Amino acid sequence: MPVLSMKGVTHLYNKGTPSQSKAIDNINLDIEEGELVGIIGHTGSGKSTLVQHFNGILKPESGKIFVDGTDIWSSKKATREARFKVGLCFQYPEYQLFEETVYKDISFGPKNMGLNEEEIQKRVLLAAKYVGLQQELLEKSPFDLSGGEKRRAAIAGVIAMQPKVLILDEPTAGLDPVGRDKILDMIKAYREKTGSTVLLVSHSMEDVAKIATKVLVMNDAHIEMYGTVDEVYSHSEKLREIGLNIPQVSKVFEILNKKGLNLGSAYTVEKAAELILSKGGAAV
Amino acid sequence: MIKDITIGQYFNGKSVLHRLDARMKIILTVVFIVSIFLCQNFWSLGLMVLFTLMTVIVSGVPFKMVLRSIKPIAIIVTFTSLINIFYVRGGTSLVDWRFIHITTNGVFTALFMATRIVCLVVISSMLTYTTTPTMLTDAIEKLLSPLKIFKIPVSTLAMMMTLALRFIPTLVDEIDRITNAQKARGANLDDGNFVQRIKALVPIIVPLFVSSIRRAVELADAMDCRCYTGGPGRTRMKQMKFHLRDFASLFVILVLIAGIVVLNYYFGAVLVK
Ligand SMILES: Nc1ncnc2c1ncn2[C@@H]1O[C@H](COP(=O)(O)OP(=O)(O)OP(=O)(O)O)[C@@H](O)[C@H]1O
Ligand SMILES: [Mg+2]
Repeated sequence: MPVLSMKGVTHLYNKGTPSQSKAIDNINLDIEEGELVGIIGHTGSGKSTLVQHFNGILKPESGKIFVDGTDIWSSKKATREARFKVGLCFQYPEYQLFEETVYKDISFGPKNMGLNEEEIQKRVLLAAKYVGLQQELLEKSPFDLSGGEKRRAAIAGVIAMQPKVLILDEPTAGLDPVGRDKILDMIKAYREKTGSTVLLVSHSMEDVAKIATKVLVMNDAHIEMYGTVDEVYSHSEKLREIGLNIPQVSKVFEILNKKGLNLGSAYTVEKAAELILSKGGAAV
Repeated sequence: MIKDITIGQYFNGKSVLHRLDARMKIILTVVFIVSIFLCQNFWSLGLMVLFTLMTVIVSGVPFKMVLRSIKPIAIIVTFTSLINIFYVRGGTSLVDWRFIHITTNGVFTALFMATRIVCLVVISSMLTYTTTPTMLTDAIEKLLSPLKIFKIPVSTLAMMMTLALRFIPTLVDEIDRITNAQKARGANLDDGNFVQRIKALVPIIVPLFVSSIRRAVELADAMDCRCYTGGPGRTRMKQMKFHLRDFASLFVILVLIAGIVVLNYYFGAVLVK
């Protein structure tokens, strides 16, 4: 049974006004447990709208959403359960911090779940460890952290609820390359350790290639493709057509392949290096 | 829910009303509001209603949107009408039963009041539907500029008003975003008693203040960087100019007032002294 599932979901913004727009249109989607799904698509293609349906933040105009087989709008209880089963971290989550200390802020979610002090403490410390926040930062005010630390504190606030599915909406937006890699490594490690399902919305096809097991491509409110990294990235023409930029290395490899060096295809620098070292020598 | 507020709501259009000079529109609105209190009988009041309807039709704003602007005042209108019906005396008696006395004067006053309030609100909302907030504040600044003689910093006040209006949608978006983020962490905003509900707002208000202050500082810096000093001598990118249509609209309003006066005189007052 898929852990997340959508059946014919459509969402309208500004319904009934002149600026009404369909942000996602008749989406059917199944996501299996344990998958790390990268969601890509051009600006405004509906990625954020799509993911905000999984924990009931947005209510669809039509269609049904299932988490663990339960229709999340079937009852008030089901909606609230979905909130905790599916942890959603919004774009620029650092603007949601509000408590006096980082520790208290991370414990906001677990507290809302009604856990006891002991359990809360355990979860906060564990979450802080996952995102790589040092112990001494926990007693600081969240407003005194650096941008990257704030981002990590906010992500920890979601992880601390120990959701079955973790959804991150552009967690690396606006960070420098080092900060970006740190977050990506953290996500990968988190998934490996906890075995949870992760959805990662991203603009960078390279980031997605680095860690995702599956890729979902959104285009103009529709799902354009959904498959493994290799399946999706091999359609480079199509991807370019819908305004996505395939990774730099892939472009280089395409050119090399055209020139007669049969190197195969690579989507990350690491994979490229590997391929060149193994096959490249023979080909040249 | 929070998106329903309609302050400074602008309806994009190309009608003649949209193209009228904002200053003239403010003057016309004020004149209309005054003249609506001149009506003394149903004929002149009818003329007012007719004029209001014409304005709505000419503006191209859908009736549904206009109705939405009346909705909030429905309670006030009903309430004042009821008070008028039961408490205004004079004219012929219609109902006289125990403590309930209803007279023609009461019913007429109620009808007059209700119609006046509705027309007034519709016409003022036509002003905001057909004028962008920026144009509106520019116009207010221009109209108030004589006050500069009394050392009132009109342009600074106008700038503050423009900025405040400009940031309403931004703040609404921000509130939505923060609310959603906290809801995703299980914040419960809809249940609980009064104290609990107030407490539940803290996770929304604190980030809102933090980001508003940050935004204000950024905005001030950005204005400084462009050497904004305000004060006298500032010119506008868009100069306001009166066109023929503005004078024509003034003429229309004057004809309307003349019509009211004539109808008042011809049919007499409906309320008995
Ligand atoms: N709160 C809103 N009100 C009205 N329209 C909205 C709102 N949020 C999004 N939209 C519209 O819905 C469409 C999809 O937006 P969405 O935020 O899901 O895109 P996205 O793929 O996440 O884009 P980005 O990569 O820029 O984050 C866009 O056309 C956008 O203009
Ligand atoms: Mg988005």
